[in-house]
Amino acid sequence: MEALLRMMGAQRDAGPVPEGDRSVRARAAMGILAAALVVAALFSLTTGASDASAWDVVVGWFSPDDSALSARDRIIVYDIRLPRVVLGILIGAALAVSGAVMQGLFRNPLADPGLVGVSAGAGLGAIVIIVLGSTVLGPVMALLGIYALPLAAFGGGLATTLILYRVATRHGRTSIATMLLAGIALGAMAGAFSGVLVYIADDRQLRDLTFWGLGSLAGATWSKIAAAGPIILLALFAAPFMARSLNAMALGEATAHHLGIPVQRFKNIAIVSVAAATGASVAVSGGIGFVGIVVPHLLRLLIGPDHRYLLPASALLGASLLLLADAVSRTIVAPAELPIGIVTAAVGAPFFLWILLRLRGILDL
Amino acid sequence: MIEAEKVSVSFGAKRILHDVDFQARPGEVTAIVGPNGSGKTTFLKALSGDLKATGAIRLNGRDLRDLKPWQAASLRAVLPQATSLSFPFTVREIVRLGLTGGRSGALAGEAERLPERALARVDLDGFAGRFYQELSGGEQQRVQLARVLCQVWAPVLDGEPRWLFLDEPVSSLDIKHQLVIMKIARDFAGRGGGVVAIMHDLNLTAMFSDRVSVMCKGRVAASGTPAGVFTDDLIHRVFECRLKVGVPPAGDTPFVLPQSAF
Repeated sequence: MEALLRMMGAQRDAGPVPEGDRSVRARAAMGILAAALVVAALFSLTTGASDASAWDVVVGWFSPDDSALSARDRIIVYDIRLPRVVLGILIGAALAVSGAVMQGLFRNPLADPGLVGVSAGAGLGAIVIIVLGSTVLGPVMALLGIYALPLAAFGGGLATTLILYRVATRHGRTSIATMLLAGIALGAMAGAFSGVLVYIADDRQLRDLTFWGLGSLAGATWSKIAAAGPIILLALFAAPFMARSLNAMALGEATAHHLGIPVQRFKNIAIVSVAAATGASVAVSGGIGFVGIVVPHLLRLLIGPDHRYLLPASALLGASLLLLADAVSRTIVAPAELPIGIVTAAVGAPFFLWILLRLRGILDL
Repeated sequence: MIEAEKVSVSFGAKRILHDVDFQARPGEVTAIVGPNGSGKTTFLKALSGDLKATGAIRLNGRDLRDLKPWQAASLRAVLPQATSLSFPFTVREIVRLGLTGGRSGALAGEAERLPERALARVDLDGFAGRFYQELSGGEQQRVQLARVLCQVWAPVLDGEPRWLFLDEPVSSLDIKHQLVIMKIARDFAGRGGGVVAIMHDLNLTAMFSDRVSVMCKGRVAASGTPAGVFTDDLIHRVFECRLKVGVPPAGDTPFVLPQSAF
């Protein structure tokens, strides 16, 4: 196994890997995770009520007359499942990376947009558009079109993150207890405002809200991808540029500054990108919990906390796991389907408790 | 050369530093001593650019406020009193963070193994694979020093001296490692760099520093060579303790001075 890992991360010099250097292992893991994502995507593309097989799909790519897939299967695979797979990859990557960035920013393995109210704030922004978009906010909708929803969610998420950072961080130190408690308060506030809006919503909006609130990839369309995709991709591409700063931040803000990091500018970029990725995800798929905390934590155990590897690996594993969770949500009660948020919460919440048990001795909780 | 003129720092209405004048020369170890709460760490933070201060601070002739974070990082490295970590990094990964700015000044041949070399210098050979959080306080302090050394590995770069700012570098160390670390500081100065170190042990200070600034209640009480500064009167005035310089204990009470090591 060790030999295989070394082979896969082999572009380094021939010398032995220095003790305590996990970069070779991390690169090997990224190769494996990328392969796993391809498999997960193919699996997801071919799982469901229709029986078009993975083989048929792959053959279909290479045969000019498209005879391998029936017309019906083509529609199912390319117009229904493919957008869902693409959206799943985008959302999974966005949730996992924004979790990892937020944990690095707050210097705290328990920080997660879902746990500390950022998703709730983003959700409030989205609900405002869903409920008021056809009436009071009509002009805004006309101006922003499909981007109104993700932008409103981004705004809600950004406001929450800024308030949270202000409340929980003093002199470059974040209190874990303050952060979690402030997160509860912010979540409750967003929930209260959302409640008011739900109260005045009509029946059709109510159905939309309920389903969306549980978190789901159902109803994925290319237009939803067009709305949320650019924002998510922007945030994902910003992530590698934050890796060095996040590593330095692990030693504290002052030391990051001593190492040459422009700390204030970095924090601004990190907060905006977390809010953007979370907001865009929440806007199209509701609150899908625990991906942002489970994925980075698992990867830190496997490849260590170096963000140069942790961030891309989180994107890959987050995407794979979300596709897997989506496949489960589509098939477990077929022909109906379960909102994916229920699946991730059912698996993620116990996992989160396990993380708490592990960290109990290390952090002052 | 480090020159600070009339540096003052206030936290809210409370003034912590009053018009501090301070100089440090390359090739020397300059110690800052003084009682708890006298403003030593605050002054070092002002020198490091962590705190807003009034007055002028010049690093190699350049105003500190004009230096971008990465420019400052290539001129000086800072060892804090203690560093806690939020994630499980290995010792090697921590030391490697010293290379963040990419201006270690190491020769091409030694750059690859710099973390190992730095760890060997602080007597932590073989610790590279251990987890930082599992180490003792003194070991963690030496890991941080190895990281700091990586950042300014060459004491002189592009003809300019570079600086080590050390906040109580030996406070949590046993006597052997106190001497190891102070010798590293001496060696850094000997090769053309400059060292500013906050110290508590007056004997180590007398032994290893070229110049001492004594701080008391946010002001500089005295500065000069250790021999010139450490007088019965000054120590009584600053530390509020009737100590005698250069007097061995009466009777047969044993005493052990670092100066006896060679």
